[in-house]
Amino acid sequence: MMKIMMQRTLLVLASAIGFVWAASTAAQVDTLKIGVVSALSGPGSEWGLAQDGGMKIAAMEANAKGGLKVGNKTYKIEVISYDDQYKAALSVSAATRLIEQDKVKFVVGPLGSAAVLAVKPLWEKNKIFAIIGAYSEKVLDADTKYSYRGYPTQTEFAGRIVEWLKKNKPALKTVAQIEPNDETGWSSNRLLKGQYDGAGYKIVSSELFERSLKDFQPVLTRVLATKPDIIELGTTPTGTAGLMVRQARELGFKGQFVKIGGPGVPQLVAAAGKEFAEGLITYAAADMTTKQYKDLELQYAKVLKPPMNEFVVYFYDAARMLLDAIQAAGTVDDTDKVRAAFEKMSPYNGIQGTIRLGGMKDYGADHQMLTPVFIGVIKNGEQVIMGRMD
Amino acid sequence: MFELAIKIVINGLTSSLVYILMALGFTLIFGIMRVVNFAHGELYMVAAFLVYVLVGSLGWNYYLVVVLAAIAMGLFGAVLERVLFRPFIGRELNGMIMALAISITLQATAFILFGPDEHSVQRPISGVIQLGAVMVPRDRLAVGLIALLILAVFYLFMRYTKVGLAMRAVVQDEEIASIHGVRPKFIHPFAFGLGAMLAGFAGALMAPIYTIYPYMGSQPMLKAFIVVILGGLGSVPGAVLGGVVLGLSESIFATLINTTVATMISFAIVVLILLVKPTGLLGR
Repeated sequence: MMKIMMQRTLLVLASAIGFVWAASTAAQVDTLKIGVVSALSGPGSEWGLAQDGGMKIAAMEANAKGGLKVGNKTYKIEVISYDDQYKAALSVSAATRLIEQDKVKFVVGPLGSAAVLAVKPLWEKNKIFAIIGAYSEKVLDADTKYSYRGYPTQTEFAGRIVEWLKKNKPALKTVAQIEPNDETGWSSNRLLKGQYDGAGYKIVSSELFERSLKDFQPVLTRVLATKPDIIELGTTPTGTAGLMVRQARELGFKGQFVKIGGPGVPQLVAAAGKEFAEGLITYAAADMTTKQYKDLELQYAKVLKPPMNEFVVYFYDAARMLLDAIQAAGTVDDTDKVRAAFEKMSPYNGIQGTIRLGGMKDYGADHQMLTPVFIGVIKNGEQVIMGRMD
Repeated sequence: MFELAIKIVINGLTSSLVYILMALGFTLIFGIMRVVNFAHGELYMVAAFLVYVLVGSLGWNYYLVVVLAAIAMGLFGAVLERVLFRPFIGRELNGMIMALAISITLQATAFILFGPDEHSVQRPISGVIQLGAVMVPRDRLAVGLIALLILAVFYLFMRYTKVGLAMRAVVQDEEIASIHGVRPKFIHPFAFGLGAMLAGFAGALMAPIYTIYPYMGSQPMLKAFIVVILGGLGSVPGAVLGGVVLGLSESIFATLINTTVATMISFAIVVLILLVKPTGLLGR
């Protein structure tokens, strides 16, 4: 009887020791939280989900390899995402939550220029390493330390596209600009006007619309009265841009549509209709016919609902670069070491070509990620690449 | 100049008709049940998604789906009244909060099922009609004509049927109406269902015109609210007049100045009218 009791006691003790040992082994895989705050719903969400998706794919790939090895610890990456609906006020709340409650040190976002202008001081003050969006030239300056813009803006590529337009469509002389009525739109309007003016075009109309607007008949009636050769859609969200294209064609516009701003051909074509979208010239973030792009689409489908917007390419590469920088720095807490390592990563092998950090001349700091960009044209509802700019 | 004026009037009236459809349902629900239905925009949205699924994915006939979507919204509205709003009859604040809760739930459900992307449905009619130098899209014209037909049927129903008469009596004075044999327990779900049906018609008709996404009901809800306040809460003729005033003023100022100014002026008109006549243009 005593012997049986002793055996049972030893069995229980051994099990307990084994359990504690297993638990402590599991605890050696820590969690690295990375935050995302972006437009995950509403107009503009095609790009916000690209920020979220790019980070999630990079995290998923790292976790699939057993985690991110940093020093002598391994980290499982957890992505915490908040939706700011492209509104600065919501972005500030989400950012505060990420910093104070979730205690993250690395973030992706926000997307919108107004949101980034509102949130970036929080990132900088709290030394949060951030891969930001925003088209406004105001978001990067000489004092920027911890924020890096994850995609090129019109400052980087608009001039080249306007040059291409001038060379390939010399008959077009006049431009009407339509942009959203917020910091993103104002900035884009200013930049593109400068490029078109510089190339000898005449701006005959410049319209700003509220993002919630869907009925563009009044706006387009006024625009078409100026008889533009080109309607430049700029940073208009793609679904809205498609509506504009359709409504303008129905009002009799037979000229050229150009979109030197956030891309997204599938949504634009769905809203405009194939026939009306035909021939639209667009800035393209990616060559969607490459194997690397198609593989990324398959990965995207594992983390978010398709279709994938081509902006994912930028944020996937930026996220990989960040994770590599964390490994190289050997720390998940010291963002000064991580940003030093991040800057040494340039030039970096992105999935479409080489990525560099630049922007000193335009912004006063090399915090702009410079990536290959493309010029596309819509043919039969699909984007066809006409040119590439490295 | 004359062509521009024609364009402005046509744009304004086509917008007005959709605003009126939304506003009528909203004001009917308030007039009879004293419920400010903040979920009205989501009824519009659900109907649009029904079109997206049945027409866009399953290939059903669009016009059949418009009718089915409206009926579905009507039945849904009646169920909402019976299950969720009836406990709060007489308590306006509670009713409002319930409506808000329903609104958020429906938006979140649509978000989970369909994601945040904007979806499009193939238009049943395309092309333009040329009226002199003025081009009018056929699909908008069709929406305008169908909306007019719905409004005409609604008017005849309210004016010449027993149920319509009973509903008008309840709007005026529920207690006296019940003394005369009108049963509120029948009228309330009927009214809510009818109001929801009108929102369903608006959503289904507009689904191919714009894009479809979970938050698409917010703007039409806001317009309906403005129209109803402008015309007078609970007033059906007021909703019609308010819709025309809002639609035309937006079209005029958006075309001649810009859309931001048009929005400001439309709110300013509402403020001015309310200062002069706080119950709205035709409110009591």
